[in-house]
Amino acid sequence: MTIQHTFLEAIRQESRRQPISKLFIHKGTCGMATDIVSVCEELGIIDMAMSLNAEIIETSCDGRCWAAPSVTVQKIDDAGAAYSRRFDRIDLGIDLEEFNKVLDLTTVHNVFDDGVTGLASRFGQLDGSLLAAVELGAYSVAEKVFLQDQKTILSKIETSKLSGRGGAHFPTGLKWKLAAQNAGPRYLVVNAEEGEPGVFKDRHLLEADPHRLIEGILICCYAVGVEKAFVYVNGQAHKAIESLLTALDQAKNYGILGSEFLPEEMSVDIEVRAGAGGYVCGEESVILNSIEGERPVPRFKPPFATDQGLWGMPTVINNVETLAAVTTLWQDSPPPTKLVSLSGNVTRPGVYEVPADGTLSWNGFLLSAGAELETVPALLLGGPSGIFLPRDKFEERIEMKNIGAGGIFVLSPESSVREITNALAGYNERESCGECTPCREGTIRLTKLLQQETVDLEKVEELIEVMEEASLCMLGGMAGRPVKSAIENFPATWISVDR
Amino acid sequence: MIPYDMTADDAGDRLANFEKELLVLPAVKSYLLPAFHLAQERLDWLPPESIVVISSHLRIPLSEVYATATAYSELRLEKPQYGAWYMCTGVACEAAGAQRLIDAVDIAPEKLGRIDCQFLCSLAPVCTDHHGKILGRLTADRVRAFFMEDIGD
Ligand SMILES: Cc1cc2nc3c(=O)[nH]c(=O)nc-3n(C[C@H](O)[C@H](O)[C@H](O)COP(=O)(O)O)c2cc1C
Ligand code: SF4
Ligand code: FES
Repeated sequence: MTIQHTFLEAIRQESRRQPISKLFIHKGTCGMATDIVSVCEELGIIDMAMSLNAEIIETSCDGRCWAAPSVTVQKIDDAGAAYSRRFDRIDLGIDLEEFNKVLDLTTVHNVFDDGVTGLASRFGQLDGSLLAAVELGAYSVAEKVFLQDQKTILSKIETSKLSGRGGAHFPTGLKWKLAAQNAGPRYLVVNAEEGEPGVFKDRHLLEADPHRLIEGILICCYAVGVEKAFVYVNGQAHKAIESLLTALDQAKNYGILGSEFLPEEMSVDIEVRAGAGGYVCGEESVILNSIEGERPVPRFKPPFATDQGLWGMPTVINNVETLAAVTTLWQDSPPPTKLVSLSGNVTRPGVYEVPADGTLSWNGFLLSAGAELETVPALLLGGPSGIFLPRDKFEERIEMKNIGAGGIFVLSPESSVREITNALAGYNERESCGECTPCREGTIRLTKLLQQETVDLEKVEELIEVMEEASLCMLGGMAGRPVKSAIENFPATWISVDR
Repeated sequence: MIPYDMTADDAGDRLANFEKELLVLPAVKSYLLPAFHLAQERLDWLPPESIVVISSHLRIPLSEVYATATAYSELRLEKPQYGAWYMCTGVACEAAGAQRLIDAVDIAPEKLGRIDCQFLCSLAPVCTDHHGKILGRLTADRVRAFFMEDIGD
């Protein structure tokens, strides 16, 4: 017990928290996409920060994608308190005098959280080192949890009501328990494929705080009795892969993955695999086939992965965010939160952390992101397998069962529900892997039916019913969901072409 | 990267180097996708020669290796023609004016294609250059400037 405690403590001792000023350059995918490097150069802000002896730190997007390209200036005073201020949209100019003042500590602001609680709390304030992550709380939950027995942990996950963040919201505690009940060897597969249009939170999490995922993986492996974990990452998410590989190396080198930190008799090997496919490659059984070297197509279920997953052995498959959220369950104020990816007709699109217990209304959330509610006719929740939420339902609370993986697109007065629905149907048709007939043929027919000037709603509904009932995986099973929702909520749209 | 070309002088060396690295991967079926990735990283696509080498190292029948490779949309079984950029026409980018941008920049369709969501909808409209780099919050001027710079090099 004491040995483990001293272990993290020793890492913290190595850390460099001392009075210092820092310039955080938000250089994740969002920063790079908005030319952060050349903008900083043009403004001369790196030279200026250096002349003020500030430490220059390259970090990720902090979730406020709307602010990119952005930098954050931080000053830590003699008492160790950190004061920060983020400069947004610096491509539009920056108040250099203000910038100077923050570095001087003449003015103080704080945009950062304390970094200890919340799923996104360390986003945009790490320098890519393990030290910085540990200083802001990484691995401290695992350290505590490793002192408990597996049963206690499993029941904690169950009572926390954490549900799968990959979209289906299956109870995580139950999934872990089912796998733990079966004889090993057991596997863990982390689903970091993130191939659903409109969702970008897992990439942000991996780029911004990969140690939180690793900590979640370790807790799962301990609780379920897993010795081998695969992280299956979208092959196009280059920065996310790089960040995760670096973090794994650091964790290995510092002994986090070894006997110095892990409980007695626990050992775990974590392997990263890159994907190479489209939307369906995020479906869990496709990932199992892919890891085994089989053709990437879905498997029949049952058997479920918790009984027969990788190589026929019990396997837990969890989304990146689900595992990361595990690390927040032992903090003071549960319940867990959910990351959502917000885009469309709002002033501040980006990654947000919302309460998962239904305490926040859509109105409240949208206002916080700078939406003008009277210009928002509806939201699209969950992309090509999702639903439309019309404005008259914005009073309702945000519920996990409605938001899938958390992709939220905000429609504008110019949006055409019909055009969007047709685009989603076209997408499902392109992404159908062709393995089963109801989806291979059904998605083609659905697109055709929807393109008719006057849509035969009866036929559409019949077709969707067949696809729901008979498709091999939920790509086909849910392809009709946005269509049904559009017809239900915007009936006038379907009587004739709405443009 | 220059795509592997079996008629080029360096073809033999490139293939031999790839094979050397491939042999480091464990010779089990599970490493099929990692093997494809390795080939694509080193050769830029999966020429038939690479498929043969993968098949023999992992001891998977050639037909099966092909069947699996073709099932992954991001694996290239033909030598890529470079120069093309892709404008995202997913829901968020379309709403942010992707089509208007495509019309405004007036770049030939074989040089500026269309692509589904690139997972950076918060910075729509976005496009992807031929190195896979994503550019966000595009304007017609920005696309033209980057495109000209890129094609120029
Ligand atoms: C077509 C399709 C695509 C999916 N894509 C993803 C994905 O990109 N990421 C993900 O975590 N889950 C995805 N899922 C859900 C997974 O099959 C699975 O439910 C999930 O990984 C389980 O983890 P969770 O319980 O932690 O959510 C997809 C499902 C379907 C049917
Ligand atoms: S439902 Fe569609 S994506 Fe799923 S197995 Fe059938 S054809 Fe493939
Ligand atoms: S729609 Fe273009 S990045 Fe998602």
